Amino acid sequence: MASKILSVDDSRTIRLIVGRALRPYDCVLCEAGNGEEGLAVAAREKPDLILLDVTMPVMDGVTMLTKLKEDPALKTIPVIMLTAESGRDNVIHIARLGVRDYLVKPFKEDQLIEKLSRNLTLKKKEAVPAPVPAPAAAPQA
Amino acid sequence: MQNGANYQELSRRYGFAPKLESASRLTQLVARQDSDVDEIVKVINKDPALRDRLLRVANPDAENAAEYAIETVEEALLRNGVGCAMVLAMGTPLAMALIKTAQTMFSAKLEMIDRNLAEPLENEHLLGTIGFSGKVAGAVYLRMNLASARIAAAEILGMNPEEMTDANEIRDVVGELLNIMAGNFKSNLCDAGLDCKLQPPEVKRSTDSQSPVVPGGGLERMAFRTDKAHIFVDVTANPWSSED
Repeated sequence: MASKILSVDDSRTIRLIVGRALRPYDCVLCEAGNGEEGLAVAAREKPDLILLDVTMPVMDGVTMLTKLKEDPALKTIPVIMLTAESGRDNVIHIARLGVRDYLVKPFKEDQLIEKLSRNLTLKKKEAVPAPVPAPAAAPQA
Repeated sequence: MQNGANYQELSRRYGFAPKLESASRLTQLVARQDSDVDEIVKVINKDPALRDRLLRVANPDAENAAEYAIETVEEALLRNGVGCAMVLAMGTPLAMALIKTAQTMFSAKLEMIDRNLAEPLENEHLLGTIGFSGKVAGAVYLRMNLASARIAAAEILGMNPEEMTDANEIRDVVGELLNIMAGNFKSNLCDAGLDCKLQPPEVKRSTDSQSPVVPGGGLERMAFRTDKAHIFVDVTANPWSSED
């Protein structure tokens, strides 16, 4: 079964880059633009993993993570932080809330795939065989 | 169990890149206000890039190092004040974050250049602004000509520049570039004890190439180029304008 990943980031650019990195893999990508939307999508879709930004409007990533960990139905979903913030106190606070991993922006797509692969099984999509051209009709004599 | 893990352990576990020690140390020293100037001089002298930038700022009319009237870090600090070192210390993580972002996200080798050698900004250009407030107040400004912004956005999204017809998409990419830079910059400030919060970035077209300087603060102006695009970054900050 395809893995389901939820990307919570207010930047469409980051969500596009995550989508591009995951394109070769058999997985379903759900998206949310802030923590509040992220919680709603997480409750509805029950993703296998969440990629979470910190600084977002409406509800930031730390608040979303706190609420997620308080919810018995969602607290076991692994979370990977995907953020430009790597300040000491922030990282320690977030680690204590319980994240599986932490990737600091800017990131390379293969770094993202490596971190994801440590936490779920990412299968490459099977190559679709190229259509075999129909044999040309024999010319009429 | 992650409770009790210290930052070094977490950095190793998460595979963080090492931080710029000289910039962090300098930010800590200047933020203290009562630091010994000799200590500040020592930190700057240990980092050739920081030293070069300070001397360039102290010799604004010189075309090159041979023309410098002020040749030592001590003289430069006397002339420009310790606050100038703070703004330079802040500029370093910003510059490094931008260079790394360009390298990582659009495989471009970004080079920091003398602002006077950069292709001039067009009258109408794209301006991204992100403010920060707390124990230090200020703003980061990122400017790009419209063509440069389109090229950078296309590279980051893996598209051809001709396909980048959506102005909102270009603005979003520039906003994210600014976000990444400012996030790294903020982490450096917080690690130095200058806790602050970033405001949401704003990206718009502008015809004004002057960056307003925060009251009582300094301004660091930087320029960067790749073979295809020029990027201008200004940072203004006042580390002694605590809101707390």
